[in-house]
Amino acid sequence: MIRWFLRGVSRPRVTTRYPRREEPPPPGFRARALLEPEAVDRDEAARLAATCLPGALARDHHGNLRLDASRCIGCGLCVDMGNTDPARATALDPGYELAVRSRDRLIVGADRREADITASPLGGAFRRSLHIRHVDAGSDGAVEQEIAALLNPYYDMQRLGLFFTASPRHADVLLVTGPVTTPMLQPLRRTYEAMPEPRVVVAAGTDACSGSIWSGPEVAGGVDRVLPVDVYIPGDPPSPIALLHGLLLAAGRVQEASAPRLQRGASAAAARAGGAA
Amino acid sequence: MTAWRTDTTSASALAAELERLGGRLMMLFATGGYDSPPAPRELDALVRTAGGLTRLRAPMQGRVYPAVTPRVPAAHWFEREIHDLFGLVPEGHPRLEPLVRHAPEEAEVNLPGEQDVRLEHRGAERLAGPGVFVIPYGPVRSGVFETAQFLVQTGGEDVAYCAQRLFFKRRGAERRICEVPLEQAVLVAERVSGTSSVAHALAFSHAVESLAHAEVPPRAAAIRRILAELERLYNHLEATVRECEDASLSVGQAQFAALKERLHRLAGAVVGNRYLRGAVVPGGTRLDFDASAVDLIGTTLKAWARDWDRLLDVLLRTDSFLDRLVSTGPLSERDARDFACVGPVARGSGVDVDTRRDLPYDGYPAFEVARHSDGDAMARVEVRFQEVRTSLELIREAVASLQSGPTRSALGPLAQDSALGAAESARGETLYWLEPADAHALRFCKLRAASFVNFGVFNRVFDSQVLTDFSFIEHSLGLSPAGCDA
Repeated sequence: MIRWFLRGVSRPRVTTRYPRREEPPPPGFRARALLEPEAVDRDEAARLAATCLPGALARDHHGNLRLDASRCIGCGLCVDMGNTDPARATALDPGYELAVRSRDRLIVGADRREADITASPLGGAFRRSLHIRHVDAGSDGAVEQEIAALLNPYYDMQRLGLFFTASPRHADVLLVTGPVTTPMLQPLRRTYEAMPEPRVVVAAGTDACSGSIWSGPEVAGGVDRVLPVDVYIPGDPPSPIALLHGLLLAAGRVQEASAPRLQRGASAAAARAGGAA
Repeated sequence: MTAWRTDTTSASALAAELERLGGRLMMLFATGGYDSPPAPRELDALVRTAGGLTRLRAPMQGRVYPAVTPRVPAAHWFEREIHDLFGLVPEGHPRLEPLVRHAPEEAEVNLPGEQDVRLEHRGAERLAGPGVFVIPYGPVRSGVFETAQFLVQTGGEDVAYCAQRLFFKRRGAERRICEVPLEQAVLVAERVSGTSSVAHALAFSHAVESLAHAEVPPRAAAIRRILAELERLYNHLEATVRECEDASLSVGQAQFAALKERLHRLAGAVVGNRYLRGAVVPGGTRLDFDASAVDLIGTTLKAWARDWDRLLDVLLRTDSFLDRLVSTGPLSERDARDFACVGPVARGSGVDVDTRRDLPYDGYPAFEVARHSDGDAMARVEVRFQEVRTSLELIREAVASLQSGPTRSALGPLAQDSALGAAESARGETLYWLEPADAHALRFCKLRAASFVNFGVFNRVFDSQVLTDFSFIEHSLGLSPAGCDA
């Protein structure tokens, strides 16, 4: 055991200072797509919508292109396709802080409702500490590893008063992953019902936020089809910092990041950084 | 390009033919579309023998055929799956309960704290005796785990019987792959088992490349090898972290988790996704590494390998860790062969199987396949430790062999009537069987993740084991419910 002790104390500190200090993603990280709807004509709108597997880029009934980032998996096919135009319509955003309190904040082109973004659905009572119960409702398994990574020395979520708990009776937050498969409907509902109030539901991952690439009789198509969702953390899978941001947002300790915007002119450079990897 | 010999037989003779062939049953499935009600055309078996691959076709007339399982045990889950999805009846199957489809009434039973746990429709044997009770562990489990259920029958200490219940996470991936446009289908394959994204993308791409007679450029093949081995590294690290956690080795857990995190950061920096998604496509790779990315991989892994060696040295001298793993969760070589296990689970029980060597792809050079004969949790863990070294070596080799050139070749029309794609994930052999509808679309996909076969032996590694070893055994198998359930 002395070897482990020496090993433990001899390593330098690696823990992030987030959220007190910013933690930038590597350039070229593919978190989500950005869209400049005005830069798209009808033909290109149809082409871009057809190239998007999860339907994040889709046309509304006027034929206008909209981006629903709660569906985006950051694959970049839209960027690959549209790379002929200097005033390109899409680019990839490397951001980590993607979590929002309302799903329509993830839709580019929709009206943004102004809400009190600092208030937590838990009230002020849980600003210092949160206990989290995780339920896998059909994820691909990677997001579980990203959640577990919150305990590694780089993120160490316990320093922020965040803890996992085995019993839903002790939990303040229900952290749900996956598009909610049919056999998980009941276990998910029962876990929720076993939690004391006030309680918060956090959908972690693009498939939990919207169902994403999955559709059909096997899946409900997102946690909010089953339970009231308070915080959406898109990402495929969401990185540990994105998860921390979402959990702190649930506790009312951070604010939503302002929505990333695709600037014309700057977009070509941004897109190159995102697309070339 | 995987080649095989095709034999045709009748459904009534399939079981006898498969027994005669011997070898390892890789897949057994019914082909057909995704209509309702399903219309199975034939049964297909893929068998690996010393002489190569054999595909055995058995056209179906009617819905009943003699079960394969009594003669070839490896067919047990495959036949239950065929029964669930296609309504075929393998007559004489020893246990034909639902596997893939969950009975609707199941959601209503087995609440925590309930006295009488019902097992009838769960494929579990009921043991009787004074003091025997059942622990329904899952589907919502304590801690951050993927969903699966284990019904542990115990008198309090010894595990009398452990039944596994999977397929809570079934998302219908095979149908989705056929529904979506062909050039987007690889994105679905990447998300079947998110921790084996590269292996699934590779297996799927290999099948499409066979269908379209496409060649992968050498540069793309080298990049694919780098990605696949990087994925193997972080999956083997995950298994190590979990084992340290089970042994309450907090410093070891933290240190190995930090090593794992460094790999994900490398992946995020060079691919743009911490799980290496969006890189592999049929025909090659979508991305190319520039000089700085190649440099980053080389320098990062050099320092990483040094730290790994030091940590592993301490771990292998920690008695409290070794004591929990040695002789825990034994899987006999016979069971591993009978149930056609793959990956580190099979290799830990002395079975010499590795897709990278057996069905060569993407220019893998010759390497030594790690094997161990003990069959216990320690053997599986040690196989992984050896494979970490091999993977580091393979990445070094691939980086050195990167030559300039294109990374993607154009795909022609789908010209063949069926194809098999294979890749070795960190968990073992991953297979995709594809049949095209026309030159540009698929009509049928059957995927078989390594975890599907390895989960099938879960109930066989608890012989004279105790409850407290449960997590050691589970994590030494290193299974992915997401891949199994698809």
